[in-house]
Amino acid sequence: MNKKIECYNPVIYMLRSMVGLIFIVFVSLVALVGFSYYLSETPDKTIYYFFNGPFLSLYDFGNMINMAVPLIIGGLGISLAFRSGSMNIGGEGQLYFGALIATLTVIALEPLGRAGAVIAIFVAMMSSGILAGISGVLRYRWNTNVLITSFLISNAVVLIVNYLITGPFDDPLTNLFSTQPIPETAELSYILPPSNLNTSLIVAVAAVFIIHALMYRSRTGFELRMYGDNPRFAKYAGVNVMYYQIMPMFVSGAMYALAGSLSIFGTYHATIKDFSSGMGWNALAVALIARYRPFAVIPAALFFAYIESGARSAMLYSDVTFELSSIVQATVFFLVSSVTLQRLGLKKRRI
Amino acid sequence: MDTVSSLIFSAVTIMTPLLLAATGGLYTELTGMLNIGIEGLMLLGAFSSVVSLHFTHNIVLAILIGTGSSMLLAAVIASITLYLKANVFITGLAANLFASGITTVLSFHIFANKGVVTFPELPQMPVLFERGTEAVPVLGPLLFGHTFFTYLSFILLFLSYVVLYRTPFGFRLRATGLYPKSLISVGLSPKRYQFIAFLISGFFSAVAGAMLSVNLGAFVPNITAGKGWVALVVIFLGQKRPVGLLIASFIFGISEAFSNYAQGIWHIPSDFILAIPYIFTLVAIVFYSIYDYNRQKVE
Repeated sequence: MNKKIECYNPVIYMLRSMVGLIFIVFVSLVALVGFSYYLSETPDKTIYYFFNGPFLSLYDFGNMINMAVPLIIGGLGISLAFRSGSMNIGGEGQLYFGALIATLTVIALEPLGRAGAVIAIFVAMMSSGILAGISGVLRYRWNTNVLITSFLISNAVVLIVNYLITGPFDDPLTNLFSTQPIPETAELSYILPPSNLNTSLIVAVAAVFIIHALMYRSRTGFELRMYGDNPRFAKYAGVNVMYYQIMPMFVSGAMYALAGSLSIFGTYHATIKDFSSGMGWNALAVALIARYRPFAVIPAALFFAYIESGARSAMLYSDVTFELSSIVQATVFFLVSSVTLQRLGLKKRRI
Repeated sequence: MDTVSSLIFSAVTIMTPLLLAATGGLYTELTGMLNIGIEGLMLLGAFSSVVSLHFTHNIVLAILIGTGSSMLLAAVIASITLYLKANVFITGLAANLFASGITTVLSFHIFANKGVVTFPELPQMPVLFERGTEAVPVLGPLLFGHTFFTYLSFILLFLSYVVLYRTPFGFRLRATGLYPKSLISVGLSPKRYQFIAFLISGFFSAVAGAMLSVNLGAFVPNITAGKGWVALVVIFLGQKRPVGLLIASFIFGISEAFSNYAQGIWHIPSDFILAIPYIFTLVAIVFYSIYDYNRQKVE
């Protein structure tokens, strides 16, 4: 008898499936150390601040967590969309656009106070959802490539938002290119002063549970995953194709808008030009590292925030530029989708 | 020059990098790989060739270094995608992210400047057949008075046509995209052809990038500004055929030339001008997909 009955132990399986991920993180950090030695006059200092910077003070630590919040929310939307096969890569534009809409709406609804803020977030989510939904509709109607349309729409929207911020909605009272500040009643309260960490963290954690329930504990989620795994099979099984081509796009766009408007209400208090540059891509990377599982999105987002804030403090205290973080992130990006690396710790399947 | 001639002339200047990058992307596209990384390959090529031109003052050496570095990045994309079984779309995005990071980091390291780095001592690119531009209407600005990059792009397009459609290598490369198992059945490796296609794409993208930065005599952060993506769209619009690429890239060139011209006349904000290529590309893609959809329905 050659066949062995393998015991399936979920804990061991999980640990084994982590091996590849740990390897990827390790490689990216090696890349970081290598580049630091090449680029920096004081590599020891660079590396010290890169790794320890986020933990040196309560301020840095809180800011790191705060940086993870929009990545978690955006990453959740992308997890849902990518799991259903909707490749929404227009996050940059959807987030930026949502943030601007939220800011303008909340300023217009100032007399309503807190309710105005809630309405503003809702309006922002709807408008970015529609922005992303256009790609879904085009895909349903004429089979247009979502990847390309969402990217192109997003790039155009970023430029148009830039125009609106620097032109018609520019606040002449500040030196920055930014809109007017939002009313103080709409600002979220801080949890960990002096850092920027605010109550949007609670929204992010709640969103994890909601998206998890939607994806793995509901009929919609089941059909969504089925459509993502095999669209043709799902079609023959009677799944509503139109719904699962448009809804995931809409939800991911709306989640990006939520991420954008919460960072306005919690951190920036006005839409500043290019405040969200890179956030959309990072949220996408977070979803990929988490392999579209909502609970894994939190550690993945924290990892990305850690790299970003590490790079920030290395830039402050040493002689490297902030863009060092994008090299580390690119290394992760390069390796994260590799099937070979993902199965590194797992036993080879016998076929 | 009158308006039409100058529009055509600048259209050709604008289309050259698009055509070069699209020709390179055609190889990867025909092997069935969507090369998202063209943008990053162009950016790295632009940076490394203009910087090495600054240090060596030798255009041939500069382009060799530029293409070499882009081909190295292309080799990284290809080996991770093919041999570690990664998603080609994500490795391409990674290449874009990496290229924009490394160019900024190195520019800061070498020139202590993250912004625009100008090299005023670099000579202007020589212009060929200068006298023909004004002598012949329409064809003059189309064919004469451009830098050697433009002529190189035409030559390389023609060579690519010959390689892809008239040699056994090209036949096998196209077969890889149509049905990879056909290569395995005759004892060849489809991955090898995909790898080579990526290298070729890296080479072409680097030349395209080199044209942008060397013509300008400066390196601007994100100098490619979405041209790699437009090149991808050119491939789709050109229906993955060499002649189609030529027509599609000219359409893009003329539309961008016109929007630049319109900016000067009607004072449109520059952000809108920058958005026009994306919107135009979007419209083109949608129309193409409607056309394709209807054609498939008929079949």
